[in-house]
Amino acid sequence: MSRVLAVARREFLERVRSRAFLIGTLLGPLLLAALTVVPSLLVDTQRGRPLTLAVVDASGALGASVAAALARRRDPAAPRFELRPAGGGAPEAELDRMRHSVLEGRLDGYLYLPPGVLEGAGPEYHSKSVTNLAELSELEKAVEDAVVERRLADAGMAADRIGGLLKHVDLKRIQISAGGEREDSGGAFFLAFGLMMALYSAVAMWGAALMNGVIEEKTSRVVEVIVSSIPSSRLFAGKLIGIGGAGLTQLSAWALALGGVAAYGALASGGGLRLPGITATALLLFVLYFLLGFFTYGALYSAVGAAVNSQQEAQSLMFPVLLPLIAGVMLFPLVLSRPDGPLSVALSLVPFWTPLLMTLRVATLMPPAWQIGLSLALSLATIALLTWAASRVFRVGILMYGKRPTFPEMLRWIRSG
Amino acid sequence: MSGAALELRSVRKAFAGHVAVDGLSLSVRAGSVFGLLGPNGAGKTTTLRMVMDILRPDAGEIEILGRPADGSARDRIGYMPEERGLYPRMRLEEQLLFLASLKGVPRAAAARALPAWLERLGLADWRARRVSELSKGMQQKAQLLGTLLHDPELLILDEPMSGLDPVAADDVRRVLMQLARQGKTIVLSSHQMDTVERICDAIGLISHGELILAGAVAEVKQRFGRNLVALAFEGDGGFLATLPGVVALRDRGRHTEVQLAPDADTQQLLHAAAARLKLRRFEIVEPSLHDIFVEQVRAHATR
Repeated sequence: MSRVLAVARREFLERVRSRAFLIGTLLGPLLLAALTVVPSLLVDTQRGRPLTLAVVDASGALGASVAAALARRRDPAAPRFELRPAGGGAPEAELDRMRHSVLEGRLDGYLYLPPGVLEGAGPEYHSKSVTNLAELSELEKAVEDAVVERRLADAGMAADRIGGLLKHVDLKRIQISAGGEREDSGGAFFLAFGLMMALYSAVAMWGAALMNGVIEEKTSRVVEVIVSSIPSSRLFAGKLIGIGGAGLTQLSAWALALGGVAAYGALASGGGLRLPGITATALLLFVLYFLLGFFTYGALYSAVGAAVNSQQEAQSLMFPVLLPLIAGVMLFPLVLSRPDGPLSVALSLVPFWTPLLMTLRVATLMPPAWQIGLSLALSLATIALLTWAASRVFRVGILMYGKRPTFPEMLRWIRSG
Repeated sequence: MSGAALELRSVRKAFAGHVAVDGLSLSVRAGSVFGLLGPNGAGKTTTLRMVMDILRPDAGEIEILGRPADGSARDRIGYMPEERGLYPRMRLEEQLLFLASLKGVPRAAAARALPAWLERLGLADWRARRVSELSKGMQQKAQLLGTLLHDPELLILDEPMSGLDPVAADDVRRVLMQLARQGKTIVLSSHQMDTVERICDAIGLISHGELILAGAVAEVKQRFGRNLVALAFEGDGGFLATLPGVVALRDRGRHTEVQLAPDADTQQLLHAAAARLKLRRFEIVEPSLHDIFVEQVRAHATR
């Protein structure tokens, strides 16, 4: 055991003493915050220039109401739309002209209100870009307002009452937990997403560090000296512990920083948590799930490292290892849409996805204890199996130079040990 | 087997497609310096790796320091592989302490023993340098030091001198001879026959995975050395080959070597040669290990 620790000590110190570690530990949380929060801020700044629109009204007298509704929705400080007058004339010719204006860049888009729009015919928005969801929903609401307003007026409603009836409703989101209630304006989403991305990048990064360490020992040929002194299984265990320990140190620093920020936020707002609520239990589970993720993927990464001769060769084998991890990230909207739904529960119990998806669930809606326990048990069983297989690939692979082995060959190494 | 530090019995190892070691048996007496010789690809490195339990033999038995080669005697052995390997970014001192800790030597004890060793191998000024900053010769000496810090009884050195300049090679040779005097057993593989002649007590020559020659150095040379004469002369010595009792002539550049039949008389050769040539040298010599090596390997290959 002392020799496993000697290997672990070396690995740990080599990682922790490096400049990259210091930078990663200090800047990691900042980078992740930047990664998750900044894009949403950038969306606002990109909004800067208002969209230039024209309204082609084939229905008759709705164009003015739409323009009025758009104007009503306008934030005077940052207008989102700028209306250009549409020339009159036959609708077909008019639409043709508009299409050219859009293609030539004089207009961003135009609204087409078909003749039967009051009776249910759908209005249309034509533009080169139709993915600016925030603006599109504004437009949709404006047209809806205009149509409803017109219908109400046609039904005999007095004009001064209509304005009051169309007043908009804002839904407040309030999260209830054992600790109390707090209003959320999207922070819970970003916290869960941010934690998951932190876990993802830590697992991918430290897994790759493990792989590169194995490759370095192989290419510098130091591995033969070591396995003449200790069994390869101890070298393998020592590397997992040492590099896992370095990753754990970094992640704990991140978790502490986050806990500190949350505590500061709680103090600053006089006890009523304004920052997304994050409990000590959640942070502890976050660190625990990192360890599970590191050992699960670390076993695979180190097997790849032992099988290849160089980092270049590793690239092609790394993808199949990363694939389940990336797939786990892709599943996040599914889990966030209903964190305690049967599909979310099932997916988060799959050991390859447990670390990422359980982190999401813990950060949004604390899962029941039995699910956490089950996820731990399944992950540990998987880790036991994977490290067993990986240490066999490791034993054969680290002394094998030359051609990169195929998957069937690696399976044979596992069987024969 | 008392008295044997290393014993191989009918050891065989095959890799996909070829047999690397084929029925190899040899014995290394405790306290001796044993040279494992053989051309490239003869199976030397494979043999040493099996001794170190890095590879497992397909058949046969290996006994090392009185135990089966299952790794249980690891801490009493120092091993230097053919492909040298140190962590390039690690500092020399840290590296050596790490290697010693893998052999179970407490850090404090290794740190106490280290300065004297660094001094002996001329590495004291480099202790805090990264290994990648060391010259190849220094790295090799550092590698050797890494095999010594835990004070092993048995040293297994795969090509300890290859790639060293004469000064560094002499440092290494001196350390090895000191260790031999202290009673350590040393097994080394080498191509350098002068080194082997100077420090080995016994040799084993392998070719194509088989042992073709083994024994004490003096005994091996005697076995092949009867009736070998070195001649240096002025004139045309071509007629020497036609003299009775002469088996072969070899041009050695500055001299000619005459191999006589076992029952031939060297005095007759001296008279016959002196009668027709101006002799500058006439000496009954032992064959060099080099010649024995080359001849035996060639003979084995053509068999």
